Amino acid sequence: MTTVKKSIITAVCIALCVVLPLAFHAVPNAGPTYCPMHIPVLLCGLICTWQYGLLCGLAGPALSSLFTGMPPVAYLPSMMVELAVYGTLCGVMMELVKTKKVYADLYISLAVAMLGGRIVGGLAKALIFARGEYSIAAWATGYFVTSLPGIIIQLALIPSIVFALMNSKLIPERYPKAAKA
Amino acid sequence: MNSLPAGMFVQGNSFIHRLDARMKLPLLIGLITAVVNTDSAAGYAAIMAAAAGIIMLSELGVKTALSPAIGMYPFFIFIFLMNACFFSTEDTWFSFWIIHPSPYGVRQGINVVLHVLLVIIFSNVMTCTTAPMEITDALKSLISPFRIFKIPADQIAMIISVAIQFIPVLFEEADMIKKAQTARGAMFDSTKFAEKAAAVMPLVIPIFVGAFRRADELSMAMEARGYGGNRKYLKKSEPLHAWDYAAAAAVIALCLLQTVIL
Repeated sequence: MTTVKKSIITAVCIALCVVLPLAFHAVPNAGPTYCPMHIPVLLCGLICTWQYGLLCGLAGPALSSLFTGMPPVAYLPSMMVELAVYGTLCGVMMELVKTKKVYADLYISLAVAMLGGRIVGGLAKALIFARGEYSIAAWATGYFVTSLPGIIIQLALIPSIVFALMNSKLIPERYPKAAKA
Repeated sequence: MNSLPAGMFVQGNSFIHRLDARMKLPLLIGLITAVVNTDSAAGYAAIMAAAAGIIMLSELGVKTALSPAIGMYPFFIFIFLMNACFFSTEDTWFSFWIIHPSPYGVRQGINVVLHVLLVIIFSNVMTCTTAPMEITDALKSLISPFRIFKIPADQIAMIISVAIQFIPVLFEEADMIKKAQTARGAMFDSTKFAEKAAAVMPLVIPIFVGAFRRADELSMAMEARGYGGNRKYLKKSEPLHAWDYAAAAAVIALCLLQTVIL
């Protein structure tokens, strides 16, 4: 994929970080439950490389906060850290993991990124953004219990989106089949 | 769609249009900081007076300036009720199950709604009065000091500028897809998780496929015109004018007023 295409895909994913949470507003309490902003960041890391995933993770929540006021400025830094780790780890894992099976690559990368992002996000809150007011119970509740529907939806949805994009020839196939003679 | 999407640049020659984008971006951040620090009636009066003044100076008209906020009224009602009913369990008017409406909750609800509303209005005026290329150049100029760390400032500015231009377009597309899926029987407000998840899937996949199709077309058009990631020419930036400094002084005064006095 060319640099220009990666840049534009990143731009689209950043725009989706603003648009998707607004589209989810029809569903009550959708933000913390479905984590709609996570989907474009994870996807950007998986499709483009880690640098673009990192930029998407930093710029997506910042632009969303700027244009819609969500996430509130108080939560913005910890969310930027969490999403930046998601985007970066997705990209790094997609470069490292090559099992010759696209689904396996996607799920391993997603699982590592989602776990890593939550650990780093929790550490950032405990050590910097909510020092002394944050506990393991609050971390587990906020990152795993409340957002469990979001985790399930992301794990079901993101590989489907990647395959839909590959089938539409909008992104290159990860393991191109040999051309028939 | 007959109406202009919210946040799209509107041609004009007003005072706000003529302000340099390199100054407008930091001033927007300053105004947002002032909004976030506001929690008193006098503070809100000062910020609202500033917002009214900015809308008047931008010559956009009240309808254009407020259109994205007006469209979000169900969201404002929802977040107000959430805060009013669930924020505090002290000094409640009455309690029923998990619902505890209280003066603190109402105050918090008003605070959150006004914060979001004012941030949206200021951001909308900024994007309506600044051409996308001006935003790109301003971003590039503001992040250019990071070049010493080998960070590609041009590319980052281009990505953020394209993202800003895509927001209204993708929002309209997402809205259309949501309406189409609702017409086909998607149950976004169902209380059952399986039904909610089943409704979300056909909403999200077409949004992504549509957005990536647009990205594919745009990247192809850019490559066909010889864009390779970096601009080969550098536009010499004009110096800031007296009115840019005057606007900066006004916003700094407002921030100080909010932080120190109100």
